[in-house]
Amino acid sequence: MVNRVFSVEDGNQQTTSAVTARKRLYKDIDLSFAKAPSNDVYKKSDLASIKQAVKNLLLTNNFEKPFNPNFGANIRALLFDLADGKLESKARQKIQFAINKYEPRVEIMKLKVDVEPDRNDVRVQVNLKIRNSSTTFDVSTSLNRLR
Amino acid sequence: MATNISSSRLDFNNIKNRLKTYLAAKDEFTDYDFEASGLNNILDVLAYNTHFNGLTANFALNESFLNTAQLRSSIVSHAETLGYTPRSITASIAYLNLSLDLSGVDNRPSTITIPRYTQFTSSVAGVSYTFRTILTHTATDDGTGDYEFVTAEGSTSIPVYQGTERTKTFFVGDITDRQLYVIPDNTIDTTTILLQVFDSPSSSAFTTYTLLDNATSVDAESRYYSIHEAPNGFYEIHFSDGITFGIAPVSGNKIVINYLSTVGAAANGGSTFNPVSQVTVNSVNYDLAVTTVANSASGAAKEDSEAIRLNAPIAFASQQRLVTADDYKALILKNYSVISDAAAWGGQDNVPVDFGKVYISLKYADGTADATKTETEVSITANLVNKLGIMSITPEYVEPIITFIETSTIFRFDPDATGITKNTLSSNIQTVINSYFTDNLKKFNKIFRKSNLLTLIDDIDPGILNSKMGIKMNQRVTPTLGTNQSHTVNFPVALPSPDDVNYIITSSSFTVNSVLCSIRNLLGSTKLQLVSQANEVIIDNLGSYSTNGTVSIEGLTVDSLSGTTFKLRAVPANESTITPLRNYIIDNDINDSFVSGVTEI
Repeated sequence: MVNRVFSVEDGNQQTTSAVTARKRLYKDIDLSFAKAPSNDVYKKSDLASIKQAVKNLLLTNNFEKPFNPNFGANIRALLFDLADGKLESKARQKIQFAINKYEPRVEIMKLKVDVEPDRNDVRVQVNLKIRNSSTTFDVSTSLNRLR
Repeated sequence: MATNISSSRLDFNNIKNRLKTYLAAKDEFTDYDFEASGLNNILDVLAYNTHFNGLTANFALNESFLNTAQLRSSIVSHAETLGYTPRSITASIAYLNLSLDLSGVDNRPSTITIPRYTQFTSSVAGVSYTFRTILTHTATDDGTGDYEFVTAEGSTSIPVYQGTERTKTFFVGDITDRQLYVIPDNTIDTTTILLQVFDSPSSSAFTTYTLLDNATSVDAESRYYSIHEAPNGFYEIHFSDGITFGIAPVSGNKIVINYLSTVGAAANGGSTFNPVSQVTVNSVNYDLAVTTVANSASGAAKEDSEAIRLNAPIAFASQQRLVTADDYKALILKNYSVISDAAAWGGQDNVPVDFGKVYISLKYADGTADATKTETEVSITANLVNKLGIMSITPEYVEPIITFIETSTIFRFDPDATGITKNTLSSNIQTVINSYFTDNLKKFNKIFRKSNLLTLIDDIDPGILNSKMGIKMNQRVTPTLGTNQSHTVNFPVALPSPDDVNYIITSSSFTVNSVLCSIRNLLGSTKLQLVSQANEVIIDNLGSYSTNGTVSIEGLTVDSLSGTTFKLRAVPANESTITPLRNYIIDNDINDSFVSGVTEI
């Protein structure tokens, strides 16, 4: 394992290995497409790759993935919903469904959705545990309008 | 181990699976199988791109051939490379007798002319349509003041076309540019175009150009135009380059195109025509007397894509000449929308042989009036056979002979295998039989194949275990009541030799000498007998049948019958295949067909 091959955004998470019964490591391409010193793109491995996948899943809307219309947590679609009491439960439901269905490597330990109507913002924080291991990690993202 | 990526598949998932198979053999990445992974997203992009390119290549290749093209513009373009211009929407045409009674009028002229676009109105299904003449017509005083208008050929049946007169004017620009004259009208009947070229915008002198398709010869002084359907469905007028097919308009000329914009088939069926304007003679207005010769017919929509696909290669083969039987079929179908199917054969193939003639049989659209049929045949002879046919060949028109097929279908039925009742299944089977005849037969040269039909029936429902079908043919005989007559009926296929058990020839019943009788052959003999309902022989020798399909009835006097015809039935020698020749058309006789189910226990 090349030690320096870690992503720009995830810092040193690649040094944290996901200890599982699997023999093969999780290895993914880094979607930031930053240029590595080897002139190749960075890779993501182990915990970083899973984290990237979860974030990717959360930020994908339905119908964005070709020929797989149900893929994605569809939470960006909530941006223009009314910020009422139902918004949080709707977001939770969608996130749980997406992760359970499309990311079999993890299970949700804790899911926190904060709706801040005054700031036109929804903050999502998920605490996840890698299946068949004791490793846990957090993924957080926030949704707000661009302008 | 997959070391190459196969990209021959078109389906997105197949392509993506191929990519995954490739990655599975590599160590660089392992997350390709997780839908949320970044690599999976990259695979989506790659697979979608391959899928899209594959489909685009497929579509592009499909559009490159007449047989597989889907877009009308592609089909039209292929047809044009074969020299075939698809038919535009066509106006409904009625034929009228037009006359003017000026008896007793002093100083009446010797001839009277009605102008082009003289209007008449007629109502079809509550909607009023305007019909117009598209040529000028002249009438001559018969000496008593009665004027009857005639066509240029001398016929008193004047054609009037449904439509609105439209004019499109172009000014010819720099002839070094490629000049295209587009008529932006989807409802143009291109056969009604009158194209005049004026020397200048203010000039009143003009020359008339004619359609190149109608040219029988071209020289340096010819003035022709050609018409093409543009990709957007409009029509483009093209002229010669000044060399290829004669004189072309030059810079500064004005081109005026008059045509009719029509509604097509909606105006078919008009029977009463009223003149809109009067004819002025010596400053006095008179009404035209109008008699309908043939109701309005032959209005049709634009030739559709499938028809173009079928007709273009045949038209190409005919090369605008009437030489082979298929040439006749192609040119007749291209030019006469009132004809739904045509068959032609040489006199040498006729029975009896008749050299020097071409036999033509025409199947008209339902509801076509007899007068329209007559006019159409006159027009085919005058405009096609005489101009494009081989010299010394005379056309002979023969009526299509319809051979009806009576089917008796019996099927084995397993009620446990289906939720449908036996009666419903019987009804469904009859519907399939009717559809089979509509889709595959009822035209010239279409062959009945029993096994194909039984396959369709067996596939209707799992409750049908197997099926069998008996076949009889019948043709209609029209006797003159109370008159001793002989009839010869020719079936299109061979009949079996006489049988000791089954009758080969039978008929429906009619009355002779107040006795209800029917015809059948004597068992074991080809002799025909007239027998009563009580099986009493009324006439012992009424003629005979031949195994070649001919049934001769001699000396039959029918007193009365239900309707105007009786059915003469025959069992074909080969029930599996019935091949109609020449002018025979196979149809189904629903009234004398039945379907019956037997429940299997």
